Amino acid sequence: MARNRIEQDEELDSGFDIKQLKRLAGYVGPYKKDLSVAVIIMVISSAISMLIPIFMKNIMDVITETVYQNGHTPDEAVRLILINAFSSLAVGFTCALIMRYKIILTSRVGQGVIYRLRRELFVHLQELPFSYYDDKPHGKIQVRVVNYVNNLSDLLSNGIVNTITDMFSLVFILIFMLYLNVRFTLICLCGLPILTAIVLFVKNRQRRAWQIQSNKQSNLNAYIAESINGIRVTQSFVRENKNTQLFNQLNGDARTAWMNAVKYNFILSPVIENITVVTTSVIYVLGIGWLINGETAITVGLLTAFAGYVSRFWQPITTLANFYNSLLTAISYLERIFETIDAPVNVKDKEGAGIMPEIKGDVEFKHVKFSYDDGVEILHDINFKVGAGESYAIVGPTGAGKSTIVNLISRFYNVDSGEILVDGIDISDVTIKSLRKQMGVMMQDSFIFSGTIMDNIRYGNKEATDAQVVAAAKTVCAHDFIMSLEDGYETQVNERGSRLSAGQRQLISFARAVLADPKILILDEATSSIDTETEILLQKGLQEMLKGRTSFIIAHRLSTIKNSTCIMYVDQGQILEKGSHDELLKIPDGYYHNLYDSQYAFLNA
Amino acid sequence: MRIKKNLTAMKWFYSYLKKYRWKMFVGLFLVTITSVLAIINPRITGFIVDDIIGDGTNIRIDLLPKFLILMITVTVVRSLLRLLFLYLFETASQDMLYDMRDGVYRNLLLKDFAFYNRSRTGDLMSRQTGDMMAIRHFVAYVIYNIYENTLLFVIALFMIFSVDWRIGFAMVAVLPITAFMTYSQSKAIRPKFMHIRDKFSSLNAFVQENISGNRVVRAFAKEDFEIEKFDKENADYRDSELDAATVWTKYIPIFIFLSHLLTFMLMVAGGIMCIYGYMSLGNMVMINSYLWMLSNPLMMMGWLINDYHRFTTSVEKIFATITQKPDIQTPRYPKEVDKIKGDVEFRNVSYVVDDEPVLHNVSFHIKQGQTVGIIGATGSGKSTIMNLICRFFDTTEGEVLMDGINVKDLDLHRLRDGIGIAMQDVFLFSDTIEGNIAYAEPDCSFDKVKWAAKMADADDFIMQMDEGYDTVVGERGVGLSGGQKQRISLARALLKEPSILILDDTTSAVDMETEAEIQRDLKKLQGHTVFIIAHRISSIKDADVILVVEDGRITESGTHDELIEKGGYYRKVFDHQYGEFDTIKKRWKEGA
Repeated sequence: MARNRIEQDEELDSGFDIKQLKRLAGYVGPYKKDLSVAVIIMVISSAISMLIPIFMKNIMDVITETVYQNGHTPDEAVRLILINAFSSLAVGFTCALIMRYKIILTSRVGQGVIYRLRRELFVHLQELPFSYYDDKPHGKIQVRVVNYVNNLSDLLSNGIVNTITDMFSLVFILIFMLYLNVRFTLICLCGLPILTAIVLFVKNRQRRAWQIQSNKQSNLNAYIAESINGIRVTQSFVRENKNTQLFNQLNGDARTAWMNAVKYNFILSPVIENITVVTTSVIYVLGIGWLINGETAITVGLLTAFAGYVSRFWQPITTLANFYNSLLTAISYLERIFETIDAPVNVKDKEGAGIMPEIKGDVEFKHVKFSYDDGVEILHDINFKVGAGESYAIVGPTGAGKSTIVNLISRFYNVDSGEILVDGIDISDVTIKSLRKQMGVMMQDSFIFSGTIMDNIRYGNKEATDAQVVAAAKTVCAHDFIMSLEDGYETQVNERGSRLSAGQRQLISFARAVLADPKILILDEATSSIDTETEILLQKGLQEMLKGRTSFIIAHRLSTIKNSTCIMYVDQGQILEKGSHDELLKIPDGYYHNLYDSQYAFLNA
Repeated sequence: MRIKKNLTAMKWFYSYLKKYRWKMFVGLFLVTITSVLAIINPRITGFIVDDIIGDGTNIRIDLLPKFLILMITVTVVRSLLRLLFLYLFETASQDMLYDMRDGVYRNLLLKDFAFYNRSRTGDLMSRQTGDMMAIRHFVAYVIYNIYENTLLFVIALFMIFSVDWRIGFAMVAVLPITAFMTYSQSKAIRPKFMHIRDKFSSLNAFVQENISGNRVVRAFAKEDFEIEKFDKENADYRDSELDAATVWTKYIPIFIFLSHLLTFMLMVAGGIMCIYGYMSLGNMVMINSYLWMLSNPLMMMGWLINDYHRFTTSVEKIFATITQKPDIQTPRYPKEVDKIKGDVEFRNVSYVVDDEPVLHNVSFHIKQGQTVGIIGATGSGKSTIMNLICRFFDTTEGEVLMDGINVKDLDLHRLRDGIGIAMQDVFLFSDTIEGNIAYAEPDCSFDKVKWAAKMADADDFIMQMDEGYDTVVGERGVGLSGGQKQRISLARALLKEPSILILDDTTSAVDMETEAEIQRDLKKLQGHTVFIIAHRISSIKDADVILVVEDGRITESGTHDELIEKGGYYRKVFDHQYGEFDTIKKRWKEGA
């Protein structure tokens, strides 16, 4: 899959089908009990609330009997009225109480479901390979975890309870109506095919419109995220106006897409309302006709009662239609969520993968070939063997494949063919976690998390004591600058590494790698932003630490790697030279030789 | 957008809504009509039942078509009007949201580095996503619902008063209770929603960092640790929602009970009055038919209060973010200059951040066209000097002069337009390579892009890629090596053809040979002032002036030869990097 740009809509391979709804039901499953209770009490609530009009009718009857027929003494009438009134109040009280429990239950279910869904999404994201993150703007992944999931909460709690409750009342009313009069009921049902036809007609457009909307929203969010992260570049390149223009394009797209989608949601309610009034009219016309013709089954009471039930019949259908609307809206988010959960994990533990035993440090590449997703081979038949405790340097021009080689040792990617052995064990035969736990990797970009410096270093080993963290910082010569900060190790830093220089950030992530106490240490241009003097000190500290550990070092400053056991010169995905500094310098016109001399060439100018 | 003084969050919100107030008024007017129409249909039904059908003995069938047509017409008109006002509110809300996002976006672009250093990306994103959605919901839905319900309530009260004022007063008795409940729910719910917004932001920020830092997480096999932390964030957010729910589980049932209380009061008061002949049964029936118009709004009340406070919290959150005033702004009356020439002077500049001095009394003067090398320990203040030139920060003491004018007196855009900077950590955008290089001038010719890439020695590797300049690089340039990213960033700076070019450790990940070539190319630039920060002597050796920065002070300055002679920090670094030069020279001689 090609990399996704911000303004590009993501394609969606799988359509939505009933399976996905079932799958969603799977998340609601554990809350079946809460949901059932909620539905039951709601059915009770709507059933008993029907008593209130009856109490009112009773009171009216008492009044009629007392005033017009002298059926009760005033005192007795008042007593009867009070009985009915208090009964009605009791029903009202019960309904209010039931509402209280309904809210408690549905909030619990709704929040519970999205908690689980979000967790599953996040856990899966932790397993996804680098390429997943490399291929799309991070903002687009982000909205799925945070915003999309939130959009489902109401649907999965209130939506479900109200729908089921209304289905019950629909059934009750239908039974009641059939019991009263079959003919009228059939007239009433005539509206349903019309409604169904309209729903079917709109359905696909509506779904498509909401899909587009969620895409546009995702594009917009991705752009916002990138704008925040790239603000320094934007400000220094005075691109504010152009960016605002681009932003507003996406902003406008999101608006248009929303308006396009939301108008479909407007349609159902008025349609139902009009169907209701038409069927009511038909019932009046036919009913009165039958009444005049003297059909015995039809009475005035029946006719008036029935006209009232028509709207009661269509009311739950309106709720169902609304649920359907929000379902279609939610589906466009749900598809994205499931798509992420289903994204394949390329680098994963083999079935029955063992635990990597404590690593001694032998590393061997046997005929390793590798290509990224695009199929262009980056490494061609790489072979080398590193003994435990040795330090290997990799040099070569940028883009030669140096980082790729070290990334394969941590199994960040799978090899196309060949194998990588650590202590004679193929790394694809052991669990990734047990392998990586014993390696310390320091990458080109040092990433700093929001939090204190102490937390950032401790990321390498969260059981480490403060003293150990300080010791690690001392090893990499970071202690002094950290102590010079106002709050020392407790100084708050953030992702953009506020006010730390690039070199300082490198030192912190270096300390992080050292604290992990790795058996294999990989330094990928770990010291490029560190000044020479600090580097000299750093190397002294490291020498002590590197004893008995295997290390791989990628660097452009050759002073950094001169003392390595072995230096590999890599270009175009191949190892062209291998040997110690002194050995390589003996090769006349050798690659390393030339590289080394080129450092000095300028001095001769 | 300049934020006016004395602006409150709500006034700020209204300043956006104002533009669409006519749409809103028309919408509300339509709501009024549909509410009135909503009262008409039950009346027609009542009429059909009472007057047309009656007791079935004298059916006035001749009147039936007229009333049915009226009933259908009313419904059709009502649903059309309803569609219309829904559409009006929706467009008003979307249009307003568009403006608001635009305003917030522009505002964020004006914020200075200090602001971005203290804000988390995820928090800022929440302002533009979740908070905007709460505002949308309010404008598109809550406003008309509050209006519609209030209107129904008032109409019903009016009707009831006109039928029997005593019952009317009895009904009004619930108003103080309602008002009190509204007040107390509002008071209880506000902090809860604030809490929810905070937890939402925090969750957002956590997820955002996890995604950005995914490589580090993998490298340290810290997935479980991340999940553990995520569980806490996720649970905190859930609990904040549930915590807020406990408030409305308390109040919403009370409002529902109040609505039932109205029925109860009509039953008791109306019933007794009828019995003792103070009121007719017909009046009681009529009042009963208005009762739903009183109780429905009460049932909705609690929810609407919720929605309203969700909205105000979001408005306040956004407002608090945008009103953080940047310290760095274009002065009101900037000095008129045509173009930055590139003469840079620091006069006794000190820079202190959080009581930590970063630069002490730094002075130097660089003339147009000079090349300056800067070398010094990590964190010694090299990048800070560059940031002060671009005015990303302001000096604490002393002044930075550009072409003899204090940078604080210059138009910010004018100043930065004249400077091209390739930063220490390269940020590339998810765009094509061409788009990234042409960042400063998106409409420039392809030849120019190619020229810049060639100058930065990037053309070769770009052309080797499958899609060349059209290759899309992922966010932050994933897929490119460190050296490749640095060269693209350099090309991006060069394309600007700036008067001042700043290379902040731009070639650290580039190999020696390539670096040498880049330097040869850079020498071709005439009349540009160039600042090169580097750790490798080779990067700065040929500079006209080399400044050594130690602990925020300039301790040495001069040419390469002068500094070698001086035997200070520079010499020490040189010796370490090139100590073997003598032996190599010997070897070269032998070879020759």
